[in-house]
Amino acid sequence: MLMNIALIALIVLTVLTAARLLNVIQAAATLRGQKAHEVSESDNQLNAFIWLLYLVGLLGMFVYLTVKYYNDQFVPQAASAHGEEVDSLLNLNFIVISIAFVITQVLLIWFSWKYRYNKARRATHYAHNNNLELIWTLVPAVVMAVLVLKGLIVWSHITDDDEGAINLELYARQFDWTARYSGADNALGKANYTMINNDNILGLLSAETIMEQMTLLRRDSTVTDSSIVNGFMPEEKLSKEKTRLRRIIHQIRTIAGFRYEYETGAETFASTYDDVIVRDTIYLPVNRPIKLTMRSQDVIHSAYMPHFRVHMYCVPGTETYFNFTPIITSEEMKEKLNDPDFEYRLYCNNICGATHFNMMLPIRVIDGEAYDTWAAGKKTFGQETTERLAAKGWITRFANNN
Amino acid sequence: MSQVQSNQVAQESIHGHEHAHDHHDHKETFITKYIFSQDHKMIAKQFLITGMFMGLVGMLLSLFFRLQLGWPGQEMPILETFLGKWAPDGVLDPNFYLAAVTIHGTILIFMVLTAGLSGTFSNLLIPLQLGARDMASPFLNMLSYWFFFASSAVMMVSLFVETGPASAGWTVYPPLSALPEASSGSGLGMTLWLVSIILFIVSVLIGGLNYITTVLNLRTKGMSMTRMPLTIWAFLITAILGLLSFPVLLAAGLLLLFDRSMGTSFYLSDIYISGQAMEQTGGSPVLYQHLFWFLGHPEVYIILLPSLGITSEVLAVNSRKPIFGYRAMIGSMLGIAFLSFIVWGHHMFVTGMDPLLGSVFTFTTLLIAIPSAIKAFNYITTLWKGNIVFTPGMLFAIGVVSLFISGGLTGIILADSALDVNLHHTYFVVAHFHLVMGVASMFGTFAGVYHWFPKMFGRMMNKKLGYIHFWVTIISAYGVFFPMHYMGLAGVPRRYYQNFEFFDGFADLNVVISIFAIIGGLVQFLFVFNFFYSAFRGPKAPKNPWKATTLEWTTPVKGIHGNWPGDIPAVHRWPYDYSVPNGEERDFIPQDEALSEQEKEAKVTH
Repeated sequence: MLMNIALIALIVLTVLTAARLLNVIQAAATLRGQKAHEVSESDNQLNAFIWLLYLVGLLGMFVYLTVKYYNDQFVPQAASAHGEEVDSLLNLNFIVISIAFVITQVLLIWFSWKYRYNKARRATHYAHNNNLELIWTLVPAVVMAVLVLKGLIVWSHITDDDEGAINLELYARQFDWTARYSGADNALGKANYTMINNDNILGLLSAETIMEQMTLLRRDSTVTDSSIVNGFMPEEKLSKEKTRLRRIIHQIRTIAGFRYEYETGAETFASTYDDVIVRDTIYLPVNRPIKLTMRSQDVIHSAYMPHFRVHMYCVPGTETYFNFTPIITSEEMKEKLNDPDFEYRLYCNNICGATHFNMMLPIRVIDGEAYDTWAAGKKTFGQETTERLAAKGWITRFANNN
Repeated sequence: MSQVQSNQVAQESIHGHEHAHDHHDHKETFITKYIFSQDHKMIAKQFLITGMFMGLVGMLLSLFFRLQLGWPGQEMPILETFLGKWAPDGVLDPNFYLAAVTIHGTILIFMVLTAGLSGTFSNLLIPLQLGARDMASPFLNMLSYWFFFASSAVMMVSLFVETGPASAGWTVYPPLSALPEASSGSGLGMTLWLVSIILFIVSVLIGGLNYITTVLNLRTKGMSMTRMPLTIWAFLITAILGLLSFPVLLAAGLLLLFDRSMGTSFYLSDIYISGQAMEQTGGSPVLYQHLFWFLGHPEVYIILLPSLGITSEVLAVNSRKPIFGYRAMIGSMLGIAFLSFIVWGHHMFVTGMDPLLGSVFTFTTLLIAIPSAIKAFNYITTLWKGNIVFTPGMLFAIGVVSLFISGGLTGIILADSALDVNLHHTYFVVAHFHLVMGVASMFGTFAGVYHWFPKMFGRMMNKKLGYIHFWVTIISAYGVFFPMHYMGLAGVPRRYYQNFEFFDGFADLNVVISIFAIIGGLVQFLFVFNFFYSAFRGPKAPKNPWKATTLEWTTPVKGIHGNWPGDIPAVHRWPYDYSVPNGEERDFIPQDEALSEQEKEAKVTH
């Protein structure tokens, strides 16, 4: 407290002293015959000179930072097929804007310096020149036309579908990632958000998970709090409880629809069983096209893999897609960067809450054979579900129900 | 008699009458003069000072998160002093980090660079430069300020609520902003944010209507549209942009309020949160983004155009030359304004939007480069063969051009959907928009304050302090934002609380950036000191300190209600008759000076 008072006193004193000082300085200047609204010869010269220093500094900083940070070490080469095209387009753009940057800054600052005030000179009354203006309309227009065209070509390559791509899902929620491989059939099983529970965070649909979720919901929907039964529950808590129950009813209704589809044979949810869920490290085969499908559980997240030049929002309520082909394995990249600890990474790049910055997953690109072996060794979702239900002793009960 | 002239006559008679009253039986009280004032000059000062206060708050917030970014996790007792529970043991809380980022953006974009810039200079200059006694509706003008004040007050209050202020980024994308379960800032803080922005929109709309009406109807005799200074053109176009785009933000905000409190699902669909599956289905969070950016992109030009208008004026006056290509400047502003409505999708290339739309938005966005290039080259040519006086205002105006170029060029990269994929939401974007929109517009504001300070307070600001302020600020601005481009190229995401070690050691660059930010922040207090000192104790200003041609410098030094003691001057020429080769020693001809015989013969009529 004492510190704060002392601090405030110090600030007040500083301001008062500065004001007094400025007062004296200005009075002295007036005595010397200087006018407050006129810029003196020396001030004008000094500022013109600083402009020159500024130009040198600005261009120097540009060159220094470009050399130091725009290189393979800090911006590793693209590790995906379309990424190479993106990088060469970026380099072209970078060169074009660098040229424009240097020319315009040099002219701006050079003119500021060269035409600094001179009492003996009179400015040239030069109001317009149609030819000049036509030139600097047409030149940027032509340059832009080239850049737009090149950009659109690369864009069409990025957004093209790849034949025979491996289907892979990235699922985002606060604050972690889950990957789902489509398994032997290369088809992702269906999912719905009403199916989500602690053991089925992606909300995948299968006969077993439907039964399991219905059982859990039935349990949750019973009112256990005695105060609500006795009418003692505070209003706020009561309204929360009402919301919870309403939501469960909505869930049960939705899931009943899926159960009906299953029971009538309209849907078998067959492609769900061989899906593989991975939550620690994503493995990808080199040189095989991947089709990413992205979903989100709660808020908008964004799947960002800068090394592959891949970026797409994960939007709750809809699916988004991105195609790419990794072309450099993790081992090769470690060598190229001379960094034994290098990992490709999946980041979240759309603000999603408090620990947004920490939402990431390592990615390892390995050769095709190693990938096949790795994939073959993973437990499928079907197996995991069976084991879990068996551990709970629920399988037989479902069988009896049927 | 033309429409304009007849209005002019009507206005003269009304105001002339009022004016006579002022002298005889009206005694203004403190309240009518300083608080609920209807004088456009006082309202301009109210906007400016409120904007400056909000600017300091926004800047302090940015310094808080720069401390965290430069020295992640380091204990800094000063943070706890300021923030209390939001910085336990002097380490910024991750929730408050996001809140600081959010409120910094909101305050700077809306309160400072929209209201603080447009509100101040449109109010001050439209009547003065056009030759009007006041705004078309002084009462609405007052209302516009007080809505802005209320909006700022609510935003300030939101900083102090228990669950913290809004923290979903200044764009407040739902569902994050819609669900208190997703983020503590999405509770009461977010409600207050929306209330504040709705009040703000009302202020902008009332103000904008008034600006447009005044420009179209209250120009003095002889002040045709093509004799208006470029400042007025910029304010007019800005007001039109605001009028067309802010209502869309209002709609977006109202729908968000409904989703938050009434169980609707405009933006919400299939959400599972806090262990419960919400009932809302069928909404689209991307819809919000379309609505938001339909305002959001014109908003960029609402911020930038006034600053460019001020720059045109200050450059011409201090180069002692006409602005180069007056009509091309108007044309390019109109072009930019039109294009700004059809480019919003470039903020959404990676939202899952149809790739074809991505192509269209790439094309329209890159078109903006053309009018922007015209403006930049015209500024440079204005300096060519000038006779440049480096007043502090002039330094800031040249700074605007330098920053406009540096920041604008990287827009060419971001506008390209193929390149934006990897740069979206990285520091490259942060660098781009801070330079071209943030700092450039801030510099335009400073240029305006230094240039028109004598008109506002009848006194001069201290030049030497102005020089120090300018040079330290521009060096810090480049020191902060130029290196960020390179972090972005390497893929460092924005709005990250820490984790820079994953990006090839940008930790040390972050320290450098933070140091520049702190220096640049502190030097603003020099400006604040200079401003308030000079307003009370600065040397008295002459009537036309910069030897400018425009009408505001024909009014008395001590501003009076009604602006001109006698008749409103008529205008006989365009505003850029500087250094006309007429053999006179004087290098400017005021707009209200009649054509000389020589000129009449030569038929030099602009």
